[in-house]
Amino acid sequence: MSATPPPVPIAPARRSWVERISVVWVVPIAALLIALGVAWSSFADRGPVIEITFDTAAGVAAGQTELHYRDVVVGLVEDVRFTDDLSAVIAVVRVEQDVAPFIDSSARFWVVRPEVTTQGVSGLDTVLNGVYIEGSWDTAAGEPRRAFVGLTNPPLIRPGEPGLELGLRAVGDTVLNGDTPIFFKGVEVGRMGTARISRDGGFTIAEAIIYEPYDQLISDATRFWDSSGFTFSIGPTGAELDFTSLASLVGGGVTFDTFVSGGTPAQDGDVFDVFSNDATARASVFNASDVDPLEVSVIFEENVAGLAAGASVDLNGLRIGEVTNLNGIVDEARFGDRRVRLIVTLAIQPARLGLPDDPTEARALAFLQERVAGGLRARLATAGLLTGGLRVELVNDPEAEAAEIDLTATPFPVLPATESDITDVTVTAEGVLSRISDLPVEELLNSAIDFLNAGTALVADQALQDTPEELQALLGDMRGFVGSDAMQNVPVLMEAALQRIEAVARQLEEDRAVERLIAAVDATAAAAAGVPELVTELNALAAMASELPVETLITELTDLVDAAEDVIDTDDARALPGSLAQALAELQATLSELREGGAVANANAAMASARNAADQVAVSVQDLPRLLERMNEVLAQTSTTLQSYDQSSDLNRSAREALRDLSAAADAVSRLARAIERNPNSLLIGR
Amino acid sequence: MQVVGMELPRKEDIVTARDIGVVGCQRCTKVWPLGTTRCTRCGARVISRDRLAYQRVWAWWLVGLICYIPANLYPMLETRTLIASQADTIIGGVLTLMGHGSYGVALVIFVASVLIPVGKFLAIAFLAISAQRGTRSPSLQRMGLYEIVEYIGRWSMIDVFVVAILSALVQLNALATVTPGPAALFFGMSVIFTMLSAQSFDARLIWDAERR
Repeated sequence: MSATPPPVPIAPARRSWVERISVVWVVPIAALLIALGVAWSSFADRGPVIEITFDTAAGVAAGQTELHYRDVVVGLVEDVRFTDDLSAVIAVVRVEQDVAPFIDSSARFWVVRPEVTTQGVSGLDTVLNGVYIEGSWDTAAGEPRRAFVGLTNPPLIRPGEPGLELGLRAVGDTVLNGDTPIFFKGVEVGRMGTARISRDGGFTIAEAIIYEPYDQLISDATRFWDSSGFTFSIGPTGAELDFTSLASLVGGGVTFDTFVSGGTPAQDGDVFDVFSNDATARASVFNASDVDPLEVSVIFEENVAGLAAGASVDLNGLRIGEVTNLNGIVDEARFGDRRVRLIVTLAIQPARLGLPDDPTEARALAFLQERVAGGLRARLATAGLLTGGLRVELVNDPEAEAAEIDLTATPFPVLPATESDITDVTVTAEGVLSRISDLPVEELLNSAIDFLNAGTALVADQALQDTPEELQALLGDMRGFVGSDAMQNVPVLMEAALQRIEAVARQLEEDRAVERLIAAVDATAAAAAGVPELVTELNALAAMASELPVETLITELTDLVDAAEDVIDTDDARALPGSLAQALAELQATLSELREGGAVANANAAMASARNAADQVAVSVQDLPRLLERMNEVLAQTSTTLQSYDQSSDLNRSAREALRDLSAAADAVSRLARAIERNPNSLLIGR
Repeated sequence: MQVVGMELPRKEDIVTARDIGVVGCQRCTKVWPLGTTRCTRCGARVISRDRLAYQRVWAWWLVGLICYIPANLYPMLETRTLIASQADTIIGGVLTLMGHGSYGVALVIFVASVLIPVGKFLAIAFLAISAQRGTRSPSLQRMGLYEIVEYIGRWSMIDVFVVAILSALVQLNALATVTPGPAALFFGMSVIFTMLSAQSFDARLIWDAERR
């Protein structure tokens, strides 16, 4: 048993450093080197910091929001802070080294946010991933810049983007919708940016870009027009609905065409007019002259409606230009009051003025100056009677005060104006219309309705329906009464009677019976001495007296009285007051009914008739007093005459009675006549 | 020849192979006389005490530690859903889970991703230092600690597994995507390097330390 192990040969500790150090140390050293290398390279590769100022920093977050260039991430927002006065937000962006040299003064930055417009939806990815800052710069490295002002909206034209930059100016009533596409034959070939108002407020202008290679399409003969919306027209060829495309119908758009060839290509910065529609754009090509129009302003004291952009400017009846713009102007310093005046801008085509040689703007102005010195003035005139449109007319006003074109005025020279010649049909028509409209049509209709209702009720009323008949009957009665022979004959008879009485009286007078009697008596008294003679003479006298035609006289008187009695006693005459009363009562009833019914016209007619009748009656009756007077006279004479006769004789008595009757009857008639005379209307109105 | 009895060895009684002049093959465990440099059975190098082991331990340990730093600084998991994108570091993820009230999950991740790796670093460093400088702590306990470190090393990858599984499962294109962050790589490397570090440690040195 070997108990002792052999001695262990111990090698000397003389080993190289390679053997003493583990090779594993390479690993941590490598790791450290790698870490250091990564750290250094990341530090070295770190790009510069730029600062972008925004109004608001909605959605921009430090450490998250990226900077994109052509949709590639080229930077990261490291910090978001305010400016010193809190007026804006500064986004501090670390950009990558390799793009940093390109971020020069051409760079533009804006925040891309989700946007939904009629043109479509953009920036949808930012809904999920948050907003990002889009940068755009040209492809040439320039002087580096580190502070920028961010844009509110994406720029229309990105730096370095190829395309033709134009200005589009709205003409007339064209409305420029901002940020709309520009179409050519339905293809989107460009975009129009946000429209802004020109400095003088006269028009709107928007910048636009036509992408390459479509910029070849634009020349100075190109005309733009608004293709948004649609037009609907009805003409002889039928109804027409016209819109370019549904997209431009909804979102608006501008389209263009070059109607004539041979124009020179457009340059960057050219300004084109945008017309309201195809037709005007087309017309403008052929109307336009090669020379720029002369633009002058006219200030009119009146501020009248009816003048619009596009209205013609006439000289001696020839159209020499058109109204391009009109505005109100209030300038207290210039005019001395605060009234609103109308300032109209005219575009006058020099070629239309008939200038010799080469018509230019300056020549046109000189021509106008000369003419103004000779009394040329601008005035407003009616363009069409019915439409009420106005135009501007240049007329020679020899009585005008001396004036000249104000060349110092801005933006255009000011042409002197004179009193306008406006045939204002509209005002007259308006007056008529307002009068018509002022009519109380409502009340009238209401009254008419009431009246018709009442009329219907009235007409439906049996009493009224009978009225005409009654009235007619009444009038017939009256006419019959007035026209009756008896009545007609009353005056005749009376006159005849009186004539007879007169004849008798005359006869009596002629005969001088009384004188003779007195003479006889005197003779008797003279011959009293001789009684026998006297007796004889008395006898003779008595015989003569008995032979006097007294009986005839009596008989005739009796006849007369009888005749008079007959007249008075006729039924007609007796019934006269009754009939009259009845007629008056009926009239009264009728009139009251009429008054209730309001049928005045009929009543007037009836009254007229009645008044005629009454007049006739009155005329008839007028003779009565005279007649009666004469009758009275005759009767008085008669009674005086008769008194000398035997008063107790029957004849006398009956004659006296008859005369009394006659005088009573005459009195009655005279009372009636007086009453009628006093108040003829009583015959009609019953009072 | 002294025969080792079957009784439990006491501290004084522990006899190392070196003491009795032999050396064991670390791969096939065949015992060779001291001085043998190559195991003729399996061909492995035979060495009684590998003094370079300390260097390897420390080298791997250092690389592991270096890797552990970015593993905590960079995001472990990048979750990108339709509306949001989130990148969480290990501690950040733990805090987020705690914020959501998932304390259990937070605890598991915290233990697997923070406590255990840090504990391993500390344990390996302690073992190496104690073996190099000598210590009064019992060798048996240190041996146990070493075994625990070696055993638990593979489970340190639990966080990487979670990331790998999630990344493989949640790939719904735009709706939701989970991608491993750079920290996952560093964390995995850190785990690997610490395992190498632990393996590089020559456990036999534990027993020598007490002798000094």
